[in-house]
Amino acid sequence: MAAQNKIVNNPNLKIAVGALLCEGCEVIGDVTIGARTIIHPKARIIAEAGPISIGEYNIIEELVTITNKSSTDANSGKVLIIGNNNVFEVGAYVEAVRIGDHNVIECKARVGSKVEISNGSIIGTGCVLNMSEQLPDNTVIYGEKCERRTQRERPPTQTLQIEFLTKILPNYHYLVKPNMQPRPTATTTAPAVKK
Amino acid sequence: MELQDEFYNNAQYIETASGNKVSRQSVLCGSQNIVINGKTVIMTNCVIRGDLANVRIGRHCIIGKNSVIRPAFKKFSKGVAFFPLHIGDHVLIEEDSIVNAAQIGSFVHIGKNCVIGRRSVLKDCCAIADNTILPPESVIPPFTLYSGSPGKMIAELPDCTQDLMCDITVSYYQHFKPHGKGK
Repeated sequence: MAAQNKIVNNPNLKIAVGALLCEGCEVIGDVTIGARTIIHPKARIIAEAGPISIGEYNIIEELVTITNKSSTDANSGKVLIIGNNNVFEVGAYVEAVRIGDHNVIECKARVGSKVEISNGSIIGTGCVLNMSEQLPDNTVIYGEKCERRTQRERPPTQTLQIEFLTKILPNYHYLVKPNMQPRPTATTTAPAVKK
Repeated sequence: MELQDEFYNNAQYIETASGNKVSRQSVLCGSQNIVINGKTVIMTNCVIRGDLANVRIGRHCIIGKNSVIRPAFKKFSKGVAFFPLHIGDHVLIEEDSIVNAAQIGSFVHIGKNCVIGRRSVLKDCCAIADNTILPPESVIPPFTLYSGSPGKMIAELPDCTQDLMCDITVSYYQHFKPHGKGK
């Protein structure tokens, strides 16, 4: 129970209205969470070397670790930007430089600190990315040997799942209160237009 | 072969009337939806997601450290649902495994660091080797051993699997003792 109070004392945590952050997560450092993003209990988001900015409509499941680590000195202090509509499944470990939109990082996948993921990619269960590289759009990485192929279309959005979770999670978990109004102009209109 | 006694810190575990031993460091979300039938050991840092759907765990099961038991999600033409997750009796799930299954039979052995894909069905008396990844919706027949990524059948199990799993889970429970004087 003591661990649950960790988030409350984090002054640099900004949660947009409509986001769901369960208590029992570990959120350290300067982290911004966009509207309609769901973070399950026991996830860890650690902004060690620089801030982390998470977009809208993301799902971050339990035991996921997202860190902004200072791997090379050139990188330190940079913001780790995660786009919209991404899914991080149970136990994923992410240190990436940047993550675009509509990506799926499956269970137990590891994304190293020099990887840049663009849009629509799937990092398969248990796959490891360590090299310094930028993944092209719609890449799928799968299997034991981390083979690659390109898919025609990006993975489907999880809006239905997000809606369902926003309904049931508040019944079972204490949530961290949002403390940030969605940014005016650009972002307030964006969710309505989307889809 | 007789198992070695494994001692745990009495303060770290809660023992229920039906003989379940549940670590205080485990996370049971939505505990009103979780049924554990008795003599089951839930070790530290496990996550069981009863908030998503009902989870029923049979007797004499062992859920290893850092494993996640999580009902699977399915999208239907109208609306969405999480599938309730049933786990049979005498099931051994080792450390760091993620179970997204819809159903797990009795006398099942899941090794370390496995991922059981969404809505998989594991029948009675099957085994999953360490580090196996089962794709979503796989069905594992009885008396088979699966291994690899994606998991493939590599061997058959003997007819006595039921007795072997009974022996393992029962003796593990008996040797899982609190520090100092045993009750």
